[in-house]
Parts: sequence; structure tokens; C-alpha cells
Amino acid sequence: MSGYKNIPLEERRRLRDKKYKKHNLANILTHWFNVAMWALLLPTGIAIISSPLLGLTPLWWQEAFRNLFGGPANLIKFHYTLGLIWVFVLTFNILLGFRKYFLPFAATSLLLDKDDIEWLKIKPLQMLGFMKDKELPPQDAYNAGQKLYSYVVILGTLGIISSGIVMTFRNVFPPILKQIAQPIHWVSVFAIVAGLIIHFYMGAVFPEEKEAFFSMFSGKVSAWYARAHHEKWYAMKLKEEMDWEDGVDREVRKATLPDT
Amino acid sequence: MATKKHYAFVIDVSRCIDCRSCQVACSVENNVPMNNTRIWVNDLGVQGEFPKLERTFLPYNCMHCDQPPCVQVCVSGATFKDKVSGLVLVDQDACIGCGFCVDACPYNARYLNKERGVVDKCNACVQRLDQGMQPACVATCVGKSRVFGDLNDPESEASVALRNAHDILRLEVETNGVDTDPNIFYINSPMMKELNLPISTGQPLVSQMGVLPRDPKYTIAEIGWKKVLVPLVGLGIGASFLVQATYFGKQLLEGEKEFDE
Repeated sequence: MSGYKNIPLEERRRLRDKKYKKHNLANILTHWFNVAMWALLLPTGIAIISSPLLGLTPLWWQEAFRNLFGGPANLIKFHYTLGLIWVFVLTFNILLGFRKYFLPFAATSLLLDKDDIEWLKIKPLQMLGFMKDKELPPQDAYNAGQKLYSYVVILGTLGIISSGIVMTFRNVFPPILKQIAQPIHWVSVFAIVAGLIIHFYMGAVFPEEKEAFFSMFSGKVSAWYARAHHEKWYAMKLKEEMDWEDGVDREVRKATLPDT
Repeated sequence: MATKKHYAFVIDVSRCIDCRSCQVACSVENNVPMNNTRIWVNDLGVQGEFPKLERTFLPYNCMHCDQPPCVQVCVSGATFKDKVSGLVLVDQDACIGCGFCVDACPYNARYLNKERGVVDKCNACVQRLDQGMQPACVATCVGKSRVFGDLNDPESEASVALRNAHDILRLEVETNGVDTDPNIFYINSPMMKELNLPISTGQPLVSQMGVLPRDPKYTIAEIGWKKVLVPLVGLGIGASFLVQATYFGKQLLEGEKEFDE
């Protein structure tokens, strides 16, 4: 983010009005589908965990949801039916967009580079109040924190899906698998939830990232936001734009100038 | 847990002749296969010295404990102690058949139905109780060995049988914070005293079903993971919430500056 604070106001306004596309429609729809499913699956799932020996869920929560759905059996049926829909849609979307969206994303947006490692060293210290004057290294379309969290989400989602399927089809799998599946299921969920709290706050409440929230509807962010938070990605976008202009230039020249 | 009714089985051991009609009745009433009955009759073998020999049979099903260890471990809420009748019941639609409760039950009163992938056990024929009838095993018992009734009612058959009994034995389990208080009362067996029960104080009962009662077993999935994973989860979520709360507090105090004009 080197020196973006020193840009003159006029230029900043221009950057703010210029938009770049960050998310495509497929990503946006999958994201909000995921949000809706989590909003329904998380509270019902928490309400199912009843073992007093484990002591995870308060009794009033269990009782409230059991009364709402009419007994633990209905609650569980609701949970796994919705879960299966979630699994189906996610798998379907990923397979459908595998070559167009998923592979490019996995190839470019998952690996940590040098700047990311540097970011991971500085950011936690800054959050604790040290090294306030130090500049954060430029970031990709997703910053290092988001990349780390994406590992948790991908692994956690795989854990949730596999263990959930084991517990849903109870007469297919042996008891030992169903015993192991339970902690895998809720630990994966809570690992994601731990990050989800930050994800929700940064995405929906934190003022500097407001644009990120609206980009989950419009798919677009301003050049100002891109430059301030995702400088490497912004540079790439600029280069793309300039290449495109060069291309147009060449075309125009070819069309207007006679062959030499 | 004090419940409105306190159903209990009273089994007169001296009257059991090992005919196993209770098993057949249970199988017919509850549609349970005969190789997976909810009732067993243990043969404790011939005891004593010739010519003073004695052979004891111990009919056996879920004890509907006052503090059932199986309810403690059930993750899906399928196993519960009914608030009205005090019976320990399984909602098989909610059961995922993980078998935690099978390991936890010190009486081996539960088993996994492999075909349906759920846990099965005696439910004291609640469907018959609702109609004002006795459980099938009790109604069919030819020797009148089995008696069933509400111990909260001093005039019920079970209460009367207990009052008139000259020996009462409960297969009590008191170990590691587990105190089952089972609700099967074995009465009228002279050899019962020599069995030195319960297990916490002496020798357990040895039968062809193994040593009963045994210590409740808890798998790694419950004990180890509970001790390690639950604090980890709490720590992770707590830390993340704290970070979020700090920033949100700061945001509220300092106001928002999204874009400097």
C-alpha cells in the first residue's frame, strides 16, 4: 500500500469512481447460497449436540430447537436434508465451473508468496499495537489472511461434507466411522466459525472494507479500494487495461494507415 | 431425576425357569428378530455342592436407570429419560447408530441393529403401557417371575412384591462418578448374597454374557477429544470473537472514516 495516502484528492475521487470487476455472478450466487445454508445449518446443528458429557450446547438452546421442529428426530432430518442440498449444490457448482473458475482460482489465489509471508509477520503485531509505522507489503486479490482462512474453509468443508455423509447414511457406515465422524464434523464447523466471526466483521461491519461487502452484490470494487487493499491485483488490472488499449491502438493504426 | 412415575421391574429369581417365553413375547410385540432380542436370560450355572445344588437364571433387560450413563453420552438426543414415566427410551429416528451408548451401558442392555443402523433396547413396551397393559414379557411370564409397576404407587404390584421380598438385589454401579440406580430389582434368591455386588465393592456377576455389570466404557471420541478439542474450539472462537469485539469497540468509539475527502 505504498504511499496511497499521499495521492491528491482529485486523483482519489477519480479512482473511487472507476470500478473493477472482482467477483463473477457464479461466485456471488454461490456465496449467498452458502450464507443462507450456514445460517440455517449452524443453529440447528448446534442444537442437535445433546450429550451432557460433552457439554457443548446449553440446554435451553436444545430445547428451543426441539420444540420448534417437533423433537430431535425432525430436527436431525431437517439438518441433514438441508445439508445434502448444500453438498449437492456446492459440488455441482464446483464441477460446473471447474475449468473456468475453480482451476484459475486454485492456481493463482491459493499459494502464499513472499509478500504474503511478510504480511503475516507484520499484521498480527500491528493488531497488537506494535510496528504501527511499518507499511504492509502489497497484496493480491486476496490478502494473506484471507488465503490462510481459505485453507481452513476448504479443509473444513471437506471434513464437514465427508463426516456429515457418514452420519446421514447411518445403515451404510460402521459404528466406528460414525463415532469418529462426530468430532470431525463439529471441529471442522467450529474452526470455520472462528474465522467466520472475523470474516463477517471485516466483510459487513468494518468501515475500511465496506466496498468488499457491496462487491458481494455488484461484483465490482472501486480502483481506489483495489489500490489501497490489493495493490498487486490493481497493478495486474491496470496492465490488462493498458494491454487492451495497446491492442486497440494497433488495430486502429492497421485500419487507418496504409500498408507500408 | 424424580419423575411422575417410577416404573420398575421386579424379578423373582426363584420363579424363573428359563423358558424364555419373555424373549418370544418381546420379539413378537416389538418386531425384534430372535437373534437380537431385547431380553436375555442368563444362566448363572449350577452352584453349591452335591446334594445341595442350585441353579439360578437371571432374566435381564434394560434397567431403566435413574441416572443412565447412556443418556449422558448420546450426541443426537435420541436416547432420553422420559420425564413422565422415567423410562429410558430411544427415538430411533434420531439415532445415528454410533454406539457410544452401547459402550457406556454397564449392563450390556443395548445393542446395535446392524441392518437398520440404529441402537435398540427394551422400552418396557411403552405402546402397551399407554393402553393400560403390562409389558409383553411381564404379561406372558408363566412362572410369574416378572412383575412390573410404578414404585411411586405403594399399592402397585411391583411395590407389593418388593415389600414382601426377603432378599433384594440391584446390580448397582458406582464408579468414576457414575451412579446408575438401576430399576430392576431381583428378589428372593438365597444365593444372591454370595455374589458380592456391586462391582465397585466386590466381585461382579459372571455369566455367559460376560462380566456384568461392567465399568461404563467411553471411547476416545468422547473422552480424549472432549478434553482436547472442546477447549481448543473454545479458545479459537473466544480469541476470534475478542479480536472482532476489540475492533468493533474501536470503530464505535472513533467513528468511521471510509474515505477522506
